[in-house]
Amino acid sequence: MNLDIEWNDNGKTQGLKLAGEIDAYTAPKMKEALLPLTKHEGTTIVVDLERVNYMDSTGLGVFISALKSTKEYNSDLRLVALQDRVRRLFDITGLDSIINIDSTVRGGK
Amino acid sequence: MEPYKFDVNNYRNLLKKYIASQDETSLYQAEQFSKLSMQHNISPEEIINVHIQALKELYPDLPVEIDSSMNFLLETMISYGLAYQEFQTLREKQGELESEISIAANMQQTLLSTTIPDIVGLDIGAISVPSHQMNGDYYHFVTDESNNLGIAIADVIGKGIPAALAMSMIKYSLDSFPETMRNPSVILENLNRVVEQNVDTSMFITMFYGLFNPETGSLQFSSAGHEPGFYYCADKDQFFEMTTKGLVLGVSDQATYEQFDITMESDDMVVLLTDGVTECRIGERFIDTEEVLEVIRKYMHLPAQEAVELVYRHFERLQDFQLRDDFTLIFLKK
Amino acid sequence: MITKSSVQIRKEWDIVGARQMGRNLAKELGFGTVDQARITTAISELARNIYLYADKGKVAYEKIEDMNKKGLRIVASDQGPGIHDLSKVMEDGFSTSGGLGAGLPGVKRLMDCFDIVSEPGMGTTITTIKWVR
Repeated sequence: MNLDIEWNDNGKTQGLKLAGEIDAYTAPKMKEALLPLTKHEGTTIVVDLERVNYMDSTGLGVFISALKSTKEYNSDLRLVALQDRVRRLFDITGLDSIINIDSTVRGGK
Repeated sequence: MEPYKFDVNNYRNLLKKYIASQDETSLYQAEQFSKLSMQHNISPEEIINVHIQALKELYPDLPVEIDSSMNFLLETMISYGLAYQEFQTLREKQGELESEISIAANMQQTLLSTTIPDIVGLDIGAISVPSHQMNGDYYHFVTDESNNLGIAIADVIGKGIPAALAMSMIKYSLDSFPETMRNPSVILENLNRVVEQNVDTSMFITMFYGLFNPETGSLQFSSAGHEPGFYYCADKDQFFEMTTKGLVLGVSDQATYEQFDITMESDDMVVLLTDGVTECRIGERFIDTEEVLEVIRKYMHLPAQEAVELVYRHFERLQDFQLRDDFTLIFLKK
Repeated sequence: MITKSSVQIRKEWDIVGARQMGRNLAKELGFGTVDQARITTAISELARNIYLYADKGKVAYEKIEDMNKKGLRIVASDQGPGIHDLSKVMEDGFSTSGGLGAGLPGVKRLMDCFDIVSEPGMGTTITTIKWVR
């Protein structure tokens, strides 16, 4: 499986739309797209996961790195439109308590 | 048909035969010749040289242009010959690396090995199978003076060698905590600080820690973002998810871990696992919790060790004997 | 009996001159076609290293002809920056991965004897021998 990444540059708000699977093979690609965006002060990065149907723990690792980086550079990370399976991963690992996840826009199966 | 012998005369005869008849047999023998050449580390330029010699013997009046062009080809092939030799060396090196990794994997097994203790009134079964050579899952049993049983099950995110190294760190930290501190939430808080200071930012560890008191049947437990286990209540003949809340180890040094407890009655069972079990994939589809519990239910009447092994065999078959993730499963039967 | 000669390497075209001289000497000594091509490739590699990394230097040749055996000794020397990590450049896959060619391991394979002395800041001397079979 593959991961497609669409990048929308709106100045202070940077959007990443992901589609596909995030696993050990595709996580590096996501990291490459996501990490540089966190290094600009005052930026809000919105990651849309609506079309991500699978993510494993390697993907969580990338989001943790990104979160640590936002703390360092004073930027902001938001995840939106998570499918249930992906959302569950954030719940179990307790990462939902430290990463800003917008559940109001929930993706379907 | 005899296997082809490597020598110019043979090659010349073969070439002669082929030029005359253009038959498939000669071409098949040419194939044998090239395989034999590789076995003897004959480089491409040498084969071209043999070809030139054979050609000159067959056609003493070979036009000088053809002769020069063959020499030109020979020069061109030198670098290919070198690349081939280099490839051979690298292949040998790869073999050495693989055997080193398998030695390391064996060492890891020895270093991290834990024996399942004999606890009166508790039947314990445990299995942990890596998807690759090095296991990123880990479980550990420890008993204290008053016969309490400490159970740890963990999953290092990130696979292979780095994960295995992190695992060793966890094991030695666990061993170094004094007995008086065998309190699940305290243990996880301490481990969290160890991991937070030592592991790179994209690596983290999930862990469940439980403390079982065989006299009262109480199991106290805390979880650092670990895949929730299941509690089987014999009285109700029902499985309950052991829902906990706690951040994975190594993300924030402020993390605290809530402690829960259940009391196990006769024939009750606790199932601990890693996501290698619950994220099991059959073709394009993921297995759901109900299916996992169904399989567990099928075998749980057996002695615990036999049961976990049979559950593993079941999932191994479902995944066509190709584990995507490390698989660890523990049964505690009262 | 020892016959010596050498070629200065300053520009890329000098590599061709170095090859030509090496090939002529190899022919005179009675090397076969394949070995001539190997010796020439090795010389190319050595001369190219001088041209690329040391700016200038020379490739020297000695015909070795005694009672028992005949051979060609090639000494490539320069006063360039030298090599910091010799084991690294002698490792397979190090220079070739960048598409630079056979590299020094390649030269070692093409020849029968290989020796390298290098000091950072002082330059590099590589001595190789090929024996007539």
